[in-house]
Amino acid sequence: MFQNRAEALALALPAALFAAAVFLVPVVILLSDGFRSPVGGWTISAYTDFFSNTLNQTVFLRTLKLGALVTVVSAVIGYAAAFAIVNLEPGAKGRMTGLVVLPLMISPVARTYAWIVILGRTGIVNQAFQALGLTEAPLRILFSETAIFIGLLQLFLPLMIISLISALENMPKDAIPAARVLGANWFQVFWKVVLPLTKEGLVIGGTLVFTGCLTAYITPAILGGSKVLMLETLLYQQVSVSNNFVSASVIAFILIVMSFAANILLKRVATARNKMRSQP
Amino acid sequence: MNARSLFIPVTLFLVIAFLIGPFLIIVAASFSAGETLAFPPQGFSLRWIAKVFTVESFQASFAMSLFLAIGGTAAALVLGIPASYALSRYKLPGAEIVRTVVSAPIIVPGIIVGLALLRYIVVPFQVGITLALFVAHTALVLPYAVRVVSASLDNLRSDIEEAAVLLGSSRLGAFFRVVMPNIRGGIMSAFILGFVTSFNQVPVSLFLSGPGVRTLPVDMIAYMEIVFDPSVAALSSLLAFLSIGIVFAAERFLGFSRYV
Repeated sequence: MFQNRAEALALALPAALFAAAVFLVPVVILLSDGFRSPVGGWTISAYTDFFSNTLNQTVFLRTLKLGALVTVVSAVIGYAAAFAIVNLEPGAKGRMTGLVVLPLMISPVARTYAWIVILGRTGIVNQAFQALGLTEAPLRILFSETAIFIGLLQLFLPLMIISLISALENMPKDAIPAARVLGANWFQVFWKVVLPLTKEGLVIGGTLVFTGCLTAYITPAILGGSKVLMLETLLYQQVSVSNNFVSASVIAFILIVMSFAANILLKRVATARNKMRSQP
Repeated sequence: MNARSLFIPVTLFLVIAFLIGPFLIIVAASFSAGETLAFPPQGFSLRWIAKVFTVESFQASFAMSLFLAIGGTAAALVLGIPASYALSRYKLPGAEIVRTVVSAPIIVPGIIVGLALLRYIVVPFQVGITLALFVAHTALVLPYAVRVVSASLDNLRSDIEEAAVLLGSSRLGAFFRVVMPNIRGGIMSAFILGFVTSFNQVPVSLFLSGPGVRTLPVDMIAYMEIVFDPSVAALSSLLAFLSIGIVFAAERFLGFSRYV
């Protein structure tokens, strides 16, 4: 540890001032706009206006609903996948983890675009459904909540799987056999042994997936179109179509509050885990 | 085979198919000979791959994205390396505040960063679009640069540079001759992570793109809303292989995953 404070400040300040100037200050001003009254002073009327509009309510609830749904489904699939992967031979485990991580390297635009080919009117799903005689006319799957749900799940599932793999690997190896020997069935093993021991991994994965869904723009923009909006696409529309900056500020505030809350939760869990580890 | 021994292969097959399958379909669709985007592809040709290189807006936006990814990441490292050094080696007053401020752009959704910059920096100060995008991408990459470089500094024993100083080297000399060679892998990893993040970034650039100045992913979204041919699929495949190649090379030569 060097003690020279002036030197330390000289090294750290350029980055901090840059981030403050181009990021922190503009964002704080943007957020304060939603609380400013047109006649001077402060008010929350922009918020009551925002939430009294039915379209806004629908979009707000849809964003929460899709975020929660994607998080829960990715947790269920994530446990199955992570459990399968940690039980592989070391070499195969590495390759499988690589395949799970691989999509994260690919541009989200490319990944979302693929679903147009799959879910579109002449897409694979409709071709298959028609060939099987399940439907006569092509189904309209694109530009719906279902399409956004599928796109978000595919985008964020890797984050959940990775979090759960490391949680399962840190679990004592004999916990499951011990519970089995003592007569627990598989449901009890999961509920009473695996889940409590991997809770942190689940919270970390869940936070990453949920905030990812809240703040995803590309997926709802491409797969939801201009009708099925989420908060991010609504914000874009408010600015670029309606020029409604007050409403944009309200949405920005909602998004930031939700993602900060999730990140504080994440930090709590991470520090709790570090404390546990540092105990002898 | 009983039900339990089937569980692992079946689960893995389904999950990997869901995660990787759509990408393979995009790759297949980009070799189609047909006029519209379709799967299975109609015939085989390289015409859409070739077309990607002739679309003028793609050329311009590719150059812009490349410039932002390289320049923005380099700028973020120039700001981020000294800050990481101060955070890891000095008793810095307000260290937590500095850490929070430089890593905040990662927590706040990109679309908000873009809008805030547009309204309160770009418009009032008449900043050009290219400069605005450059600044935005630098701020976006900064948290990654600080995190990765800090991690590799924390893995390096600090007594070697104290020894260098004790033996008569200046603090600066000790940094460049002792510390830098030892964190080169971390810096390269930060560069690659920043490059990929910046290159794939859409929401930050959305509001800052102006007439004729766009990043490649924003341009691709605009293009696919108008034209329904396989050229976006072809471009997506090319970009995907490019970023997978970069990350693989990084892992092979630098042990990328140690830092990220």
